[in-house]
Amino acid sequence: MSSIIEVENLSFSYTPERTILKDLGFEVTPGTFLAIAGPNGAGKSTLLNLLCRLLKSKSGIVRIDGAAIDLYNTEELAKKVSVVRQEFVPAFEFSVVQTVMMARTPYYTQIGFETKTDTEIVNEAMEATDTAHFASRALRSLSSGERQRVFIARALAQNTPILLLDEPTSFLDLKHQVRIYDLLKTAQLEKGKTIVAVTHDINLAAQYADVALMLDGNCGYHTGKLEDVFSLAQIEKVFGVKTFAAKVGEENFFLPLGKFAKDRGIINTSNNTNKRK
Amino acid sequence: MTELLTPKKLVVRIGLAAVLLVAVALLCSLIGPESISLKRAFAATQEQGAINPDYEIFVRVRLPRIILAAIVGAALACSGVVFQALLRNPLADPYILGISSGAGLGTIIAVISGLNWTLWGRSPIAVFAFAGALGTVWLVWFIGRITGRAHVTGLLLAGVVVNAFFSAVIMFLTSIAKSQQIHATIFWLMGNMTEEKLAVLWVGSGCILAGILTLYFISPRLNALSFGEDDARSMGINIARTQTIAFAAAAFITAMAVSLSGLIGFVGLVVPHAVRLVSGPDHRQLLPLSGIIGAIFLVAADTVARIIVAPAQLPVGVVTAIVGGPFFLVLLVKYSRKVSWVK
Repeated sequence: MSSIIEVENLSFSYTPERTILKDLGFEVTPGTFLAIAGPNGAGKSTLLNLLCRLLKSKSGIVRIDGAAIDLYNTEELAKKVSVVRQEFVPAFEFSVVQTVMMARTPYYTQIGFETKTDTEIVNEAMEATDTAHFASRALRSLSSGERQRVFIARALAQNTPILLLDEPTSFLDLKHQVRIYDLLKTAQLEKGKTIVAVTHDINLAAQYADVALMLDGNCGYHTGKLEDVFSLAQIEKVFGVKTFAAKVGEENFFLPLGKFAKDRGIINTSNNTNKRK
Repeated sequence: MTELLTPKKLVVRIGLAAVLLVAVALLCSLIGPESISLKRAFAATQEQGAINPDYEIFVRVRLPRIILAAIVGAALACSGVVFQALLRNPLADPYILGISSGAGLGTIIAVISGLNWTLWGRSPIAVFAFAGALGTVWLVWFIGRITGRAHVTGLLLAGVVVNAFFSAVIMFLTSIAKSQQIHATIFWLMGNMTEEKLAVLWVGSGCILAGILTLYFISPRLNALSFGEDDARSMGINIARTQTIAFAAAAFITAMAVSLSGLIGFVGLVVPHAVRLVSGPDHRQLLPLSGIIGAIFLVAADTVARIIVAPAQLPVGVVTAIVGGPFFLVLLVKYSRKVSWVK
């Protein structure tokens, strides 16, 4: 199957002195879940912005569904790619359903109203994200987790094959983190959506994603199947922190160990299968 | 799902507001130093030749002024709605990007140079005010564009700087002007209604209604823009086009309003907020309702200005500021406690 996202020789810098991304290349097959990880400032969000053309690169190619991203106009691109950014509250008191309905704006009738199809799509998106029961509440009155689900609902209502997310769980507690990832995985499995999520939470990403892209902060990167990318050696090297890795049942997990960690000595005696460098 | 706006609800609400506008306009047309009656005014029109004072006052004096107040109020309120949405700043008003100082500068130049001609029935003051207003918005827009990505902040700062600079020039010109000229200028700066010719009213109404209609068609996109340019773009909104149309149309109707009646404050700030409080932030509804409520507000305010010190008249801007100022303070305190506004 051909790739839905192709990136070739992509380079990007905000200032000439400091290059953020250099000769990056990877592909995403339709219906997979890609996790993008890496230290702060490695260019994860920059990459996401390049994938939705919020930023444009001077060198390299991004192809969405076979066509170079520059060939799309704004409206066509919004039919391919939807984006969930980090939490943002609008200037005015829009309600949940109004917010989700905004995803349908380009499809409105001439006089500026939604059609029946739009309403159905929005209802479905709100059911899927479990936001329908507070549809008439103001966005501002919601908790962070609820609000994040509303923005995911809005992205789903855009009905795009590709869904990009920038740290979708950064302000959420454990329960809400898991719920968000469950939601995304469901969209992937049931609707065949391609999910690309920037994340700091390697353990959670390891449970849900199929493939991964690790940016190392020095313009290097590693991509491939999740198990290969999220290895102990990679993580210690990229993040520069001693880490304890273990496998519980099917799940790999990684525990960073700081200077004062009680089990810092555990590393030498661990049941670690990976070799440390 | 019940509270989404439908075309039917919108039409009903606009209809109700319009009925209210007509009622207020009729009521206000009967108030004034000369008491008139509609019955007398129209009963006698069948008799040819005879002069009917009630009819003359109603049609030639009161009605033109009420129509003028209505279109100016509608223009300012709609323009306020649009600037608040575009700048994502609830404290924005139609004058925020320097329109007031630009128009003011145009006026004082017209007054001082003592020009004495008319263009399509408009005095040099009106023409210069119109040109000054549009020119300033263009200048601010141009500077804002240069500042690049933080577009909104750049625009606001450019507006503040241009406002300050032009105000200084106005001060300078005022200080060298003759006192008679200053009086005319000050009256204009406070917002002043006079009885305009019908042709002027027709052209003014046409231009302003066309502007508001244009704005209505981009109102769904203004909703999306309230979530920021990035979000709106990823939802498929053409940002540059939407912003350009919105700015151009809003600046145009504001400049029209300013050239018709000077700088009337607070209508464009207070009315959108009051309407938003009642009917919510959806611009498809906020825009037309604000237009009608703005018209009602200014018709009422102008009636007060006409009668309160009769036979003299107050500048209507004094009335709107006296009513609008405290109202706005209440709003500000109420909201800033609840939420942090400027983001």
